[in-house]
Amino acid sequence: MISEQTFTNDALTPMENRKIGYLIGGGLRENLKARLVIPSDQVQEGSFVMIPSGNWVYYGLVTDIQLGATDARFADEESEARLPGELAHWLHGQTLYTNLEILPVLMLERGPDPASQAYQPWLEEIKSGRRSEPKMMPVKTIPPHHADVFLAGEGEIAEIFGKPDQEGNFVVGYTREGGHAVCLNLDRFVQRSAGIFGATGSGKSFLTRILMAGLIQRNRSSLLVFDMHNEYGYDDVASDSGMKVNGLKTLFPARVRVVGLGANSMVRGTPADFSLEIAMKDIRPIDIELLSTELNLKETTPTTLEALVASFGPENWFSKFKEMENGAMVETEDERGRLKKIPAPSSVAAWANQAGVNAMAAEGLHSKMSILFHRGYIREKPAADGIGEIIKMLQNGMHVILSFGDYESDLDYLFVTNFLTRHIREAWEATTNQYRTKKLQEPRPLVIVVEEAHKILNRQMAAQTSFNTIARELRKYYVTLLIVDQRPSQIYDEVMSQLGTRISGWLGDEDDLRAVLAGLAGRDTLRGMLTHLQPKEEVLLLGWGVPMPIPIRSRRYDQRFWQELMKGKSKPQSEEQIIAELGF
Amino acid sequence: MTEIKIGRLLSSNSRQFLVGCRVAQADIPALGTLVRVNPQSNYAIFGLVYDLYIADDGLVRQLATVEEMDESVIADHRINRSVPLEIRVLAVGYQEDGKIYHLLPPRPPLGLELLWLCTDEEVVEFTNSGRFGYLRHILREQDIAMEEVLAAHLQLAERAHRQAGDIHWSSRVVQEMIVLLRDDYTNLIRVLQSIADTQVFSENDWENQL
Ligand SMILES: Nc1ncnc2c1ncn2[C@@H]1O[C@H](COP(=O)(O)OP(=O)(O)OP(=O)(O)O)[C@@H](O)[C@H]1O
Ligand SMILES: [Mg+2]
Repeated sequence: MISEQTFTNDALTPMENRKIGYLIGGGLRENLKARLVIPSDQVQEGSFVMIPSGNWVYYGLVTDIQLGATDARFADEESEARLPGELAHWLHGQTLYTNLEILPVLMLERGPDPASQAYQPWLEEIKSGRRSEPKMMPVKTIPPHHADVFLAGEGEIAEIFGKPDQEGNFVVGYTREGGHAVCLNLDRFVQRSAGIFGATGSGKSFLTRILMAGLIQRNRSSLLVFDMHNEYGYDDVASDSGMKVNGLKTLFPARVRVVGLGANSMVRGTPADFSLEIAMKDIRPIDIELLSTELNLKETTPTTLEALVASFGPENWFSKFKEMENGAMVETEDERGRLKKIPAPSSVAAWANQAGVNAMAAEGLHSKMSILFHRGYIREKPAADGIGEIIKMLQNGMHVILSFGDYESDLDYLFVTNFLTRHIREAWEATTNQYRTKKLQEPRPLVIVVEEAHKILNRQMAAQTSFNTIARELRKYYVTLLIVDQRPSQIYDEVMSQLGTRISGWLGDEDDLRAVLAGLAGRDTLRGMLTHLQPKEEVLLLGWGVPMPIPIRSRRYDQRFWQELMKGKSKPQSEEQIIAELGF
Repeated sequence: MTEIKIGRLLSSNSRQFLVGCRVAQADIPALGTLVRVNPQSNYAIFGLVYDLYIADDGLVRQLATVEEMDESVIADHRINRSVPLEIRVLAVGYQEDGKIYHLLPPRPPLGLELLWLCTDEEVVEFTNSGRFGYLRHILREQDIAMEEVLAAHLQLAERAHRQAGDIHWSSRVVQEMIVLLRDDYTNLIRVLQSIADTQVFSENDWENQL
């Protein structure tokens, strides 16, 4: 016992795979407890540890670090003052201690000791197929008392999260102690919808940029980005650090299209590659109903819209309605020759009376919709089939960043994202069905990136929007969402529960914390980790897309990142070329 | 190796024995000294001096009241007194057929057995054998000045170990004492404070030892 507690030659042993303690209790439900044998400040919450024992290696996370004493009085008294330093030091070594709480997550069979006789037969059994290959699995047993606890090293991180140089793996950050690369498998990442959360300024947009760069580089799926704040396409300057931030268009000029809303749209002073205008004939009642809150629509709206479609057909109702004059009256003579005002034939009321709907309701709707009638991007006859173009680009492997330009209101965001998503959903459902039935070309996987997702995916909205369907079932049709939000609690639970990978920066709000962790094992312990994350620097990886939760220092979006990313490019480039291209 | 004999056994039990010696003897063993009784050639019992007692012999009371006393009277009283100096020894282990055990002796020594002072080599050998099991016997006793005996022992034995070239013995023994007493706050602090008063810790710059 003596030697374990005395702190000797710490400095000589590298942190890597260093024994940090031994198990003293705990269990699956209430976490494992370990006695720390190195100074308490050398282990952090969230440290990734391994516990080899018997035929298994267990992997887990440090979730708490606690100071303890064999007798409270040893802790209370400042015995340094009463005893010579050496004695006080020994006394504390034996009576004061630090306990770790470890959340056990995974275990891997490692077989008998390679030096033992049992090892060879064990290997044979695997080779001959009589025993299944050892693979990571959730913990089902626990190691015994006094099993040694080690800090996991680069090898273990790679074993669990994947090797950085392996196809499809993408480094999102580094472990906090050792600085070892932690990978996400991008192919797995896009198989289900994912979320990036964190309070404002916690680094969501930067991490989203990093991930998108990785996905574009990987070139297995197309991205459609709803860029509400015009931050992803062209270069920008970080508001806090003043650092130049490269846009995705700068890095991948040939593969990224910046689409602006409305003719001649400018995005951060640069003309967009392409303008999106929405044809009136493509607008359906559902697109309007979704704006109930924004436009403060009444319950009568669906009836009125239905009547409009019945009168003019699904393609013409919008333009006809727009042309109607609200409140126009004409004077006519009645039978007895008296002058009387009645709704003009071109008026909303005249149509309403004729269609048999409440005229007041129709007039109300007309005036509320007038904001849409005058939106510059909604045109009777757009110059091009914007929607069709976007869909084609995405299907051909291009990436589209839709910038809202000056249309920054929630109304525009809701209307356009829903409208576009509805069309995309139809297109992908169609190609998937063709692929299934006629064995035509497999659809190109699509990831729709949604900033400020709670605006569209909140409880009220989600039930009606296409996003909800996408989150719930569209992965079968090769479309998934990447939602970026600072208020996860406002996002519809059903959508949250569909998220495979969750990446979260610092969160302070109780409800947001609960929402991000909903449905995950070890919520209480993960919660603590989330509240202790360093803003702008650290995030927690969670959920289906990662083998186990882990807090990481997020990768920096800087010159080095670009250089590393470019190294993976098929066409070899010199360093100067890259830097020149990036404008550094 | 010159053996130094101290006195003869007056009484004993398995845990302690009482030894008598002449007061004037030059080598009255100090508190905490390791001593030995050799009942047989292959059997030795080790003990630790935990108390020294000079009994009243009847005459001393009369002498104590005399105002002006001649030095020769005092010397005569010390040399020729009939009641011996009593040394109380705690049994802390034994050696049989060359092997040292930190257990109580299987058989206590008999009356008038000779008590010997252990040499430095014997001190080093005894205190290095096993894992400080002999401390048990000292810590168990309620009626002795336990912390003082431990401190005295530490100081004496440390000197022996240091002379033999081992400067880390004191660190090992103190840590073992801490382990044994860590559930007993009061006694542990008392022991550590006594130890702090010894030369071992007041003279050395402890940082050099780490
Ligand atoms: N990975 C990173 N690399 C470099 N800088 C970063 C990184 N993450 C965050 N930062 C810094 O933190 C600042 C805020 O990050 P970011 O804009 O991504 O926050 P956010 O979570 O998107 O905030 P909001 O909710 O307000 O949009 C950035 O301006 C940048 O300086
Ligand atoms: Mg942001």
